[in-house]
Formats: sequence, C-alpha cells, structure tokens
Amino acid sequence: MNGLSMRGMEKSFGAVRVLDGVDFDVRPGEVHALLGMNGAGKSTLMNMLAGAISPDAGTIAIDGAPCAFSSPFDAKRAGIGFVVQEVDTALFPGLSVYENIAADELARATQRPIRSLRQEKERAAALLRRVGLSIPPTKLVRDCSLHEKQLIVLAKVLSSDARYIILDEPTAALSEAETKRLFAIIHELKQQGVGFIYISHKLKEVQEIADRLTILRDGRVVYHGAAGSLSLEDIVLHMTGTKRRTSANQARTYGGDIAFAARGITIDKTGTTIDLYAHRGEIVGIAGLVGAGKTELAESLIAHRKTAGEWEIEGRRYVFSSPYEAIAAGVCLIPEERRKQGLFLPESVRANITVRLLSRLARWQWIKRAQEAEAANALVRSLGIHPPSSATAVRHLSGGNQQKVVIGKWLNTNARVFLFDEPTKGIDVHAKQDVFAIIRSLADEGKTVLYFSSECQELLDICDTIYVMVDGRLLARLPAAELTYEQLVYYCSGGEIDEPAGRFRDAVEKNGTVYS
Amino acid sequence: MNQPAVSATPSKKTAPSILEFLYKHGTLLAILAVIAYFGITQDRFFTYENFSDILRSISIVTLVAIGITFSLIVDGFDLSVGSTVSLATIASAAALVLYRQEIFVTLLVPLLLGVAVGLLNSLLIVKFKLPDLLATLATMYAINGVQLTYTKGFSIYNDMPLPDGGTAPGKFIPSFLFIGQGELFGVPFSVLLMLFVVIAAHLFLTYTKPGRLFYLTGENREAARLSGIPVNRYRTYAYVISGFFAALGGIVLASRIGTGQVSAGASFLMDGVAAAYIGFSVFGAGKPNVIGTLFGSILMGVLLNGLTMANVPYYAQDIIKGAILVGALALSHWQKK
Repeated sequence: MNGLSMRGMEKSFGAVRVLDGVDFDVRPGEVHALLGMNGAGKSTLMNMLAGAISPDAGTIAIDGAPCAFSSPFDAKRAGIGFVVQEVDTALFPGLSVYENIAADELARATQRPIRSLRQEKERAAALLRRVGLSIPPTKLVRDCSLHEKQLIVLAKVLSSDARYIILDEPTAALSEAETKRLFAIIHELKQQGVGFIYISHKLKEVQEIADRLTILRDGRVVYHGAAGSLSLEDIVLHMTGTKRRTSANQARTYGGDIAFAARGITIDKTGTTIDLYAHRGEIVGIAGLVGAGKTELAESLIAHRKTAGEWEIEGRRYVFSSPYEAIAAGVCLIPEERRKQGLFLPESVRANITVRLLSRLARWQWIKRAQEAEAANALVRSLGIHPPSSATAVRHLSGGNQQKVVIGKWLNTNARVFLFDEPTKGIDVHAKQDVFAIIRSLADEGKTVLYFSSECQELLDICDTIYVMVDGRLLARLPAAELTYEQLVYYCSGGEIDEPAGRFRDAVEKNGTVYS
Repeated sequence: MNQPAVSATPSKKTAPSILEFLYKHGTLLAILAVIAYFGITQDRFFTYENFSDILRSISIVTLVAIGITFSLIVDGFDLSVGSTVSLATIASAAALVLYRQEIFVTLLVPLLLGVAVGLLNSLLIVKFKLPDLLATLATMYAINGVQLTYTKGFSIYNDMPLPDGGTAPGKFIPSFLFIGQGELFGVPFSVLLMLFVVIAAHLFLTYTKPGRLFYLTGENREAARLSGIPVNRYRTYAYVISGFFAALGGIVLASRIGTGQVSAGASFLMDGVAAAYIGFSVFGAGKPNVIGTLFGSILMGVLLNGLTMANVPYYAQDIIKGAILVGALALSHWQKK
C-alpha cells in the first residue's frame, strides 16, 4: 500500500483513554486535515507519529512496511517531519539560516569533521527556493519574521528528506497574505509528492487547503472523507457532537448604562485596534482561539503591554500608560499565567491577598498585623480557600485555591472592572464552580466583568454577552442567550457571522441523530 | 570551623533532617564553632579589646551589607558599593582637610554622593534596562576612577603638603573622629550606630508597607506590577539606599582610620556580599534579611580576626572569604529547590 498509515492506535494516560482505536493515513501529494476540539487526541496521535510517544496498541506503516519509532530520530529517518506550532523552539536564534538548516546533519555521528561552508550555503539556498523564501542564507534567524521562521523550519524538515510533514497550527500567527503564500508553497510541494498532515482550528482555511478530513472526538474518529463534501457547519457539529447544552446561563439582568469602554486600543503583537464596551454588572466574554490575541488584549487593557487608545470608566475618560495608573482607576487583571504573573510564591496567603489593602491596614506606613490577619482570614473564609489559614505559604495551595487568592486580592478594593484571562485554566471542576460564583456575585454587585477564554462552553455558561475575537480583531458582539455552542465554535474558527442566529438549531434538529 | 554547611552536603541523601537543622542554625553553629576554636587556640582572643575591635570592624561591613541586602531584596545586585565606600572616605577627608569644613558638610557631601551613585545605578538598570551586574560593574570602575582622579592617587591626611608648596589648611576634627573612634557608655559609637541601623532597617522591612512592597517587588516583579505596585520606583529606592549605606560605611571608615585612603573600600564589596548571602540561611529565612546579614558579618568578622591572630596572611584570607561565599550561595540555592 502506498503512503503512511496508522491502524488501531490506542493510548491511555493513567485512567484516561486519550486514543481509542484511531485509524489515520496520508498519501503522497495530498493534504489531510486532522481536526478536533482541544483534548480530542490530535496531539497524542501526532506525537506518536513523530516518535515522541509510544502507543499502547496499533501499528504504523510506510508504503506497507511496518515501522516502530522509539525516538524522534527514528521518525525523522523514516521521512516524517514535524513543523511545530512554536517554531522558535525548533530554531537557534543566534545562528544564520543555513547553519540552522544544517544543524540536524551536524548532530549526526557520521558527519565528517570538516564541512564545506560553500556547499552548505548552496544547499540551504536551494531548500529556501523550494519553500519560496528569498532571503540570504547568511541572515540570522533572530532577524527573521515569524513567517520566515516557519518556512525555515519547513526547509529544515525538507533537508532531511521528509516525505510526510505535520503542520501544527501553521497559520495561527500569520497574516492573511502570509497564509496565502504558505498555501501556495504547500501546493507546490504537493506536486513534488510530499504528503501533509494539517492541524488547525481555522476551519475556513482547512476547507481551502485540505483534500481529505479526519475529525476526532474524545479519542475516536467521528468523520473521515473528502474535504469538499462537508460544509463548515457540519464540520463543527462533528467536532462538538450535539449533546452539548446551549446556554445554561439563567437570564441575568444588568444595568443599562455603559460602565466601561475602551476605544482604539492597539495590540502590539497583531497590529490591530480594538473597541469594546460593557454595561454596569454585565459579564462580557471575549471568545477566541488560542493565538487570537485575547491575552494580548487583556494585558493591553491594563496597560501592561505597550498600547495606545482611550479608556472610559463610569463616564470618566482616561489614558493609561502603566498598570499602576489603570489599577488606580479601578481596572484589575486576573492573569492567565497565575504562578508567573499573579502570585508571590514564597509568601503566605496573607501577604498575597492583602497586597491591595495595605494602605488601609497601615497607619503611618506601619502595618497593623492583627487587622491584616483579620482581613486576610475573612477573605480566606468567604472564598472557601483550603486550607483555611492565611498563614499557609501560597505555593503549597492547589491551582484552584491559588486562583481564589489571586481573585481575592481585588475584592474589597476600589476595583470596578475585572479582566479575567482564562481563569479556569488548570483548576478542577469544583474550584471552577466557585470561581464562577465569585464572578457572578461581582457582577451582581455592579462590577463589570470581561471574561477572556477559548473554552466556548464556559463562555456560554457565565457570560451575558460575547465578543468573537479572530486574528486580533473583535468581529461581533452577540447576546450569549441567542448563541449555541456550535455557533460560537464556528464563529471563532473563522465562520461568517452574517447569517441569522438560528442556523445551527435547525441543523441540529434535522441531523441530530446523525452526530450524536 | 566555617565548614558545617559545606561538609554536610555529602550526607544529604542519608539525613535530610540534619541538613534541614544545619540550614536553619548552621550559621549560628558556625559562629559559635569559630569563636570556640579561636578562643582555645589564641590566648588574646577572649579579651574585651579584641571583641571591641571585632565589633568595630564589623560595623562598617554591616552598614555596607545592609545596602546590598536592599538591592538583593528587589532582586537586583549592586557591585558598586566598595567604590562608593572609597568615594565617601575621600569625600569626607577632603571636606575636612582640604576645605576646612565642619561636621555638617563633612557628613552631607559623602552621603549625597552615595545617593547620586544609587541614582546613577538605577538610571542604568531601571530606566535603560541594563543587566544589574554589568551596570554596577561599570559604575564600580567609574566611581573608583573618580576618587583616584580626584586625589591623583594620593591619600588625604592631616598637614599633608599641597602642590602649591603649603600644607593642607584643615584637619580631622574630634567630632568627626568620634564616629569611628569614640565610645558611649563604654561601647564604640560605630557599633551603636550599626545596631541602630540594623534595628531600624529590620523594623522597616518587616513591619511597614514599603518594606513589604520591597520584598514583593523582588519576589515576582511582573505580579507586583500587575498588583499596582510601582516596581520601578521601589527598585530605584533600593539602589539609592544601597548607595546611601555604602557612603555611611565610608564615613565611619574615614573616621576610624583618620585619613582618606584611596581605594580603601574595595574589600568591603566581597565582605558585604558574603555577609548578605550568609544571611539568607539564618533561621531558615530563605530570603535576604537584615538580621541574617548582621549574623553574616559577625561570622566574617570573627573569622577574619581569628585568622589574623593566627598569622594567616591577608592574601590567604581571601581564599577563605571566597570559600565562605560559595558555601553560602550553595546553601541558599539548596533551600530554593
């Protein structure tokens, strides 16, 4: 049989079955897209192919000959190339392009001790031409753009004669024009007989580039077939299944006046500009894929990143140039990287949670210890932090309890606008419900909440209104109650937002049994 | 002697609890061991004069080391303190001897110079974002050059001849000499000054709001910034405080020796850094702290005094200083894991 095939792949991590008998194959000269929600098993499957994970069961064969990969080196030698999403991890920034391309060769033990630099440069130049890149091979990698780096990794993969190439979210950080160029190169390489496995959440692009689709859900293949025969809506329904709730959110009421608005906020990374607003007591979601620019937006809104624009909080206009100013005006951020950005790990819960209350707890700058302990204990009790002692070192707490500490430091302060960036990342279900309860009660007190997340179900559960964010832009402001899960996934994946909101309800009713 | 911390490392696998104990109390045990050793081997060690001498020499190191402790607390580093000590020594001597100033100006000028060095360091580190080690390495050299250039390499002393043929108009006045040589209630004034600074700095860092914010800034700068702490302001304060205490140390040094010796402060950098890092482990604090720094400089002071008595030459003492610093660094690293 011609091509690469994986049969009956199985893998469990502990009690969790990540892959449950998955079949997958690639033929030379085709683009086969591998789709699925986060946790569907895509990464595990690809890591098996790249030799990073060994399967519990199943076989991999190339052109009918079975092969077992015990290391990434084996996979590379068998002709499998992996262009990882974070291309920076695969390159040496201080070396030139040709040295990077030759790096794998150098690592080989059989390499002759003396190399011909001229040959290396010529070889690199030929490979760069093959991936359509017209930069001098002597250019330093750290001076290259992200798009160029990606193509350098591709050239590096081709230099080891890869016949099957895995592209993991290759367009996540690319502009539209750069994406077009990448697609042209993929077409070119297809003609030369290279087979691609294409992983992406940007479904519109997948439809454009892919010849075949395989959709995974919960470790099983739920769809396999030609790409052209499936509409975008159908792809989303296959990925999500239909048993999801729509919006479990009980109708909340919130104020009619706009409490927070931001105009012309620039995001340095994507070079885009954002306008948004929120009412008093409203929970506003910012929905977007990983890499859509949510964290960058949140950090720009609190002026932690270089940004420009204008803020309006309860009728007063501000221009912030540092978090110090934004926080003084009542904006606060519960950051995504809790341990790195939110906590003082060597300190106690008390020192962490009272950092914003010190002015009130100190007299002539002298901290009144008894009052500080009292304030901290009150917060620990009301937030249900475990263990219920404010003297515990915060590094000994679980993720969920640490998150409560990070949130707790803003309660009882003058904070009026709360920015939550992926607040449920890495915390258990129980803590998640607690965090949701805190967010709801903040909103009920009249605070404004912005909730940044890539988890569509969470957004529907907690938010009143949802902005859809794609490639650093806010595309639409939609009432959460009128959205279904599938719609939101669809919009975040790049689907058009001009249709009436009911399209997925109809689709589910018509085809409900097919997908469930 | 100073070895329990270092020699304990091989037994790590077998007895972690012993190591834990040594980490918490190792510095105190080391001080006691060193005192006992020299007390037994050296006849003159247990005398009032000797202890008074040790405390006097410790007082300058401690002042400098407290400045270093502040820069360590905000996760920075200040290599320029030794040069600042030299600069302050020369500045106060010059004010007295060359310009016939009274006590007020004599104290004010070096302290202002110390603050200026701190501001320069924070300009380079906080504003221009240079790495702290390299920036203060540069200022260390530049400041040392400044005091050498000013004196053309000569020390400043009473009745020194001047280039124009006359002698210097001023001299070291008694009120200035009192700082380094005088006694109050039978205790050297410089020791009282040191104790006052230690207690004040300890209370400030442990019990006040700015003290807390210094620590938070150093423990996680990004979290501190996102908590609304003006981290750059606190980092600037830390370098200014470091320069100020180095200058204070320089004043005490000038007063103690009664002349303005060029590059007299150079050795205080190493002693101060070692004292501050030894302080990490005192009572298992695991972070820079003033009380620990005091114990660190006591350990250094007792050891160096004893070694001098035992006729170990000063250049060989540097080997032991280096070994102590490595041991202290190893301990603080082990604690972090």
